[in-house]
Amino acid sequence: MTEAYGCMTCNVGATVPNFRLETYEPSKGDFGEIGLESQMASKKWTILFFYPADFTFV
Amino acid sequence: MGAEVITVSTDTKFVHLAWQRDEKELANVKFPMGSDAGGKLARMFGVYDETAALALRGTFIINPQGKLLNAEVNYYNLGRNIDELMRKFKANLYLQKHEAQACPSKWKEDGDKTLTPSAKLVGKVYEALK
Repeated sequence: MTEAYGCMTCNVGATVPNFRLETYEPSKGDFGEIGLESQMASKKWTILFFYPADFTFV
Repeated sequence: MGAEVITVSTDTKFVHLAWQRDEKELANVKFPMGSDAGGKLARMFGVYDETAALALRGTFIINPQGKLLNAEVNYYNLGRNIDELMRKFKANLYLQKHEAQACPSKWKEDGDKTLTPSAKLVGKVYEALK
């Protein structure tokens, strides 16, 4: 299923490849972008919280 | 705390906006809502359900050096315990500063008992945690 990338879930302890996501930022009421490199540059921890879909019941 | 929570689903940023604006439960949401339309990031973390084209409930803690330290994946019908997520995050922060130690399962916050693996500790975990 994930041959192209390897599966990070099976690789706790490994370095995560950089990624970027478009975002909606409720604190600004505007769109933005966030990436792992910028998080690392500002020495921040990153918690990724996946869920199936908006308008459902998280 | 020097951490950013990023919520991620396969919805677009436009749908994120509409949902956050519409749903009163989300009125106080401050964290960025990431769009993984197409599921590239979900695939990278092994939480993409190809049949449903949705992401499973996966939580991942990455340290400031880019290392993945925790992975938790639940099926659709089981919610996550935020207290446990915070416990893991606090333990990671603590362990980053105290590299020789380990946080046992009942560790909750700074000041709770930790274990320091050594020859003396072998077979003596019970006594160490008492």
